[in-house]
Amino acid sequence: MTNKQQPILLLPTNEDTTGPYFPTYFSDESYEDLTQIHSGVIAGPTGQHIILRGSVLDRNGKLANGVLLEFWQANAKGIYRNPSSENHPDLDPWFDGYGRLRSTTGEYTYRTILPGASKDRAPNITVTIFSDGINRIVTQIFFANQKANEIDPLLTTLSDQDRKRLTAKYEGPSPDGADVYTLDIIMAGDNETPFFDDFLS
Amino acid sequence: MTRIGRQLSIGKTDNTSDQRTPRKRLRLIPTDVRESFVPVIPARAVQRQNEWDLTRIAPNRPRAEGSPIEVKGTVRNESGTLLRGALIEIWNANHYGRYRHVEDHSGLKLDENFFGIGRVITDEYGNYRFWTISPGAYLARPDIGRWRPKHIHLSISCGSSRLITQMYFPNEPNNASDPMALLMGDSFDRNLGKPYETKIPEVDRGYDFDIVVGGKNAIFFE
Repeated sequence: MTNKQQPILLLPTNEDTTGPYFPTYFSDESYEDLTQIHSGVIAGPTGQHIILRGSVLDRNGKLANGVLLEFWQANAKGIYRNPSSENHPDLDPWFDGYGRLRSTTGEYTYRTILPGASKDRAPNITVTIFSDGINRIVTQIFFANQKANEIDPLLTTLSDQDRKRLTAKYEGPSPDGADVYTLDIIMAGDNETPFFDDFLS
Repeated sequence: MTRIGRQLSIGKTDNTSDQRTPRKRLRLIPTDVRESFVPVIPARAVQRQNEWDLTRIAPNRPRAEGSPIEVKGTVRNESGTLLRGALIEIWNANHYGRYRHVEDHSGLKLDENFFGIGRVITDEYGNYRFWTISPGAYLARPDIGRWRPKHIHLSISCGSSRLITQMYFPNEPNNASDPMALLMGDSFDRNLGKPYETKIPEVDRGYDFDIVVGGKNAIFFE
């Protein structure tokens, strides 16, 4: 049995609540729609356009106004753009995978491309929610009718109920050919969405 | 060894905290899916030159009301790695406690020379510096007389390091009753700016605020 030297870690600054006034002034359309770099140029990732929309709700079923949502996903070929994938041949030059939007009402509409299944993972989008009243909570959204959902190593650790709570419903195509998916995120109470600990685990 | 997930705490006297804090324990993330939970944020440029100086709307405009202060520090992750090129988005209330955000309906006074939003990027040594007006405390809960203490909001993004936090001020009376500060317990002092005397006329005093972005995402790719 080896005696691993534990690294000395600095004490982390505490996370704190975003509060109700995260500046919408910081909004950037290119983070709200990942299907195109900008409406004025011909540049965008490959893959099926999707619209993911829904409501973020509180314990009383009311809209969580002012929430800040951050999204993270792989590209259509299932590759994440991170330090481990530098020079990977399947990276998409027009795709980072990071999105952000601040919702005034608590309803969200996010446009992106459907992530590919990667390694043994079903297509998924990691969602971080910052909000007044909390620091942040993190979950991962899946898509209806994906065969890979049945064997996804995260979904298979969850109960049937929790799997349903994380699976966005397919609503059909939008007029411009994007596949529309919907999922409500329930922060607390009845039908609470499962959240994951990325800070410690 | 099985571990049980954390249960998040609810801020005392904070209605929104009660409404929005999950009641179930957080789920632990299996190792084989861990990578999918580590967003890597692309580097972004600051848009306007004056965004480091919140004490004026533009370099040639008058100073805002109140006490101008300097805030500076170094940004690292828990293993001590300097975070270079980190984007710090900053926002704070004006001298009277008012934000220019359209959703601030407090009715507190606006200052025509204060915008209250800024951005800085850490340099090659992980250092940042900005000027702002010392923010006013404000009555967050008129029904129970609870004030939000003076604070500056900071949102830090650097690759897989992500933190939203607040800097507080030492010896402020409202620190002791702030619900989120109470949850921090003794570690609240990590979120306090450390005052120092400034030698320049443009600011009244400075605050050192070294930031450590904690959590496994910030060190995931090391």
